[in-house]
Amino acid sequence: MLRTRELTKRFGAHVAVDAVDIDVRPGTLHAIIGPNGAGKTTLFNLLSGELRPSGGSIEFADCDVTRLDATSRSHLGMGRSFQRTNVFPKLTVFENVRLAAQSRTDQSFALWRTAASLPAVNARAEAALEEIGLLGHRAQLASELAGGDQRLLELAITLATDPVLLLLDEPSQGLSPEDARRLIDRIGALAARYTIVLIEHNMPLVMGLSDEITVMNFGRILAHGTPAEIRADPAVRAAYLGKTA
Amino acid sequence: MTRFAVLVVVVALAPLVLHYPELETQILTFGLLAVAFNLLLGEMGFLSFGQATFNGVGAYVAANALIAAHAALPLALLAGLVAGGASAAVIGALAITGRGVYGVMLTFAFNEMAYYIAFQWRDVTGGDNGLRGIPSPALFGLSLDDATRYYYFTAVVVLLAFAALLRIIDSPFGAVLRAIRENEDRARAIGFRVRRYKIAAFAISGALSGLAGGLYAELFRFVPLQAIDLDTSTNVVIATLLGGIGSPYGPLLGAAIFTVLSNSLSHVWSHWPLVFGLIFCAVVLFFRGGLWGIADRWGRRAAHA
Repeated sequence: MLRTRELTKRFGAHVAVDAVDIDVRPGTLHAIIGPNGAGKTTLFNLLSGELRPSGGSIEFADCDVTRLDATSRSHLGMGRSFQRTNVFPKLTVFENVRLAAQSRTDQSFALWRTAASLPAVNARAEAALEEIGLLGHRAQLASELAGGDQRLLELAITLATDPVLLLLDEPSQGLSPEDARRLIDRIGALAARYTIVLIEHNMPLVMGLSDEITVMNFGRILAHGTPAEIRADPAVRAAYLGKTA
Repeated sequence: MTRFAVLVVVVALAPLVLHYPELETQILTFGLLAVAFNLLLGEMGFLSFGQATFNGVGAYVAANALIAAHAALPLALLAGLVAGGASAAVIGALAITGRGVYGVMLTFAFNEMAYYIAFQWRDVTGGDNGLRGIPSPALFGLSLDDATRYYYFTAVVVLLAFAALLRIIDSPFGAVLRAIRENEDRARAIGFRVRRYKIAAFAISGALSGLAGGLYAELFRFVPLQAIDLDTSTNVVIATLLGGIGSPYGPLLGAAIFTVLSNSLSHVWSHWPLVFGLIFCAVVLFFRGGLWGIADRWGRRAAHA
């Protein structure tokens, strides 16, 4: 589904992502973990198209997307979430999601229709809110939601774009343990329907959830395997799990 | 809809209550300019500090169409509208490459350039003497060379333009503009080509500004250099903030108050901007929603009581 070859990003002399090969198989939840500064977020931004790679390639659904920008990748079915909550604050919860659904139509330059009366868009938006459990908050302003709910809304926005692949960047960042748990549970439920790439700092959270894990350190891949293999890997234990496992 | 109905009634009755049709026509043309400006500021979140550019381009093009080409009034106004929209699309496309305050400064700089061109290009603009010799207004053989008649003509055009703008604000396109205002990066990430929407918004805003300019040119059959100068751009910003950017009705109200005050106070006391400045500061500091925001709150409270 998603494949990188020799993917590299340099910032001056610093190599943030160093010849990374990743294969995300369809229908799996693939976690990318690593300590702070391991290059996870840079890798994520290369995958989503926010950053241009210095070298290597990215293939999505048998299509070379290395040179495509984030907007184009979104239209191919790669939906991303953001590390910091990234919603439309002064719009209602429903409008946040409705806009995302609207972006999948050719109606966005229609000047003479009413935005609120596009039935397919409204249905898509409601389905996304339902899926994420925010339907009860639809009339609230996004900025009035609690932190955990905002992160869920962020996810609902991404779902409303009808993605095939979800790229989730540290979704639990900054959340209380309960909210993080709740979010991870939602992501677990989504894993049945979507292929997911999950970047996460909080390792215990992803252990029970992932089909495959790639561990990064200093911009390189340190290890790759199932959660059980990763847990047993001595290099990973030394670099990363030392304190927690 | 009810608000729009109230607006129509107010506009229809205004000349019967206050017998200054020229002043009221000026309110309408300046109001249209402010409303067009607020499509960029209130809906999309872009402060255009050069809105007079499009107003002036529209005024000069419409006036020249009337003078040189003997065009019919609707055609001349249409030419002003198209010219205003085209100039705004070009300037907008360049201005939005600068983010934040740089974009604002670019609209400002283009306004200064447009002013200088108008100042120099006397054959077309009359330079600092202004453009004279515009034929008196007529519509399909019916003379509009009467202040009240011309007021009602302007009222119909402005109300139609305003209704169109209300529709655009409620449209899927308008929704994207608000998405850009709220969070441009997120709008891009969910798949909107932000740049195209911004340029289109500039074109629409500029077109309505150009229409306002054309209507203004025919009002006194004269286009002063002020039609395109930075003072006018500043006045648009002030009137809009005074009225409130949260609703398209806010700029209309702000334009009405600004026009009335600047006309009446300037006769009484030449230092009137001082008073006006104080009012402006008070509104911006203490009533963020502008005067329309206050009126709206009163209206809601009255409706609840």
